[in-house]
Amino acid sequence: MRDIVRMIVVLSLIAAASGLALSLIYRITKAPIAYQTIRFVKEPAVKKVLTGYDNDPILDRKTLVVGTDDKGAPVEITIFPAKRQGETFAVALEGKGKGFGGLIGVMVGISKEGKVLAIGITSHSETPGVGSRVEEASFTDRFQGLGIEGAVTVDGISGATYSSTGVMSAVEQAASYVVKYKEEIF
Amino acid sequence: MSIKEEFTKGLWKTLPPFRLVLGLCPTLAVTTTGINGMGMGLATTFVLIFSNLFVSLLRKLIPPQVRIASFIVIIASFVVIVELIMQAYFYQLFKVLGIFIPLIVVNCIILGRAEAFASRNGPLASLADGLGIGFGFTISLFVLGCIRELLGSGSLLGVAVMWSGFEPFTFMLKPPGAFVALGILLAFMNLISSYQERKGG
Repeated sequence: MRDIVRMIVVLSLIAAASGLALSLIYRITKAPIAYQTIRFVKEPAVKKVLTGYDNDPILDRKTLVVGTDDKGAPVEITIFPAKRQGETFAVALEGKGKGFGGLIGVMVGISKEGKVLAIGITSHSETPGVGSRVEEASFTDRFQGLGIEGAVTVDGISGATYSSTGVMSAVEQAASYVVKYKEEIF
Repeated sequence: MSIKEEFTKGLWKTLPPFRLVLGLCPTLAVTTTGINGMGMGLATTFVLIFSNLFVSLLRKLIPPQVRIASFIVIIASFVVIVELIMQAYFYQLFKVLGIFIPLIVVNCIILGRAEAFASRNGPLASLADGLGIGFGFTISLFVLGCIRELLGSGSLLGVAVMWSGFEPFTFMLKPPGAFVALGILLAFMNLISSYQERKGG
């Protein structure tokens, strides 16, 4: 009996101590990790979908609260504005859509006139060689010039319907944010 | 054995991938360049040093029935710490090593050292053991990575060093090439060992 108690106590204590240590490290590294993902994942995507700006969209980024999640915590999105002579003429923002293997993150460039400029996939876990083809320019180019109001539809890739639909709903989500918060964004 | 011997044994006598032939999965998978090999090696060394130290410090407290579970909790905690730190400060390396960072948890070198050494020896000796094995592992991965990088892409540490007409053996960057490189290195090490033995005997 004593043995069992000892086992339980020791293992629980070790687990508790490790949990405490990890939450501490997580707090310390949270901000640098967020910065790194912006620098290495978002920045290349932003540069891909926006052109002709003379500011630094990464530096001028702003966050917008777009509602709350299940637990009541605020959901924030980051907007990257492209400015020419101090005037915002387009923005890039990320939308997420459900693909075949999880959420697909798509960076969408949207002009002030409400047209999609370009899109770039930032994160996905689609099947390599099948669903991953949504990353190819031949597919992402199909979104150019689409309006942002209402449903966003383009021809999907045959054999990768789920992934194609995922990208479309991601673009739709980003577009809906722009429609809804037009005043704050531009 | 003295503390110094505990350290140096990891550098030749029990050099992990070659002598113990342990931890081959990361050894073969990530050593496509010298830098990748070294990054993987250093991450493993960090985990190894701290898991050895903590297992050794707690060895009298942990009941033998739950020792493996306790070791794994300790090891996994340090692996997550390494993962977070790498993600925060060495993002590009983190992207390249990818899934192999969390997989350090199941690297048999680390659990092997915890079970075979740290749970039976004092903290200082365990620290020396972890450092020695860790450095041995790092150097092995670095050398293997350099060889594969040199033959597979004609560069060393990212700098092109081969002559201009050099046709890279892309085969060396693929998994089978890793086995070939490992085999050649092992053969060399055995050659040196047998030469030393003959000279000594």
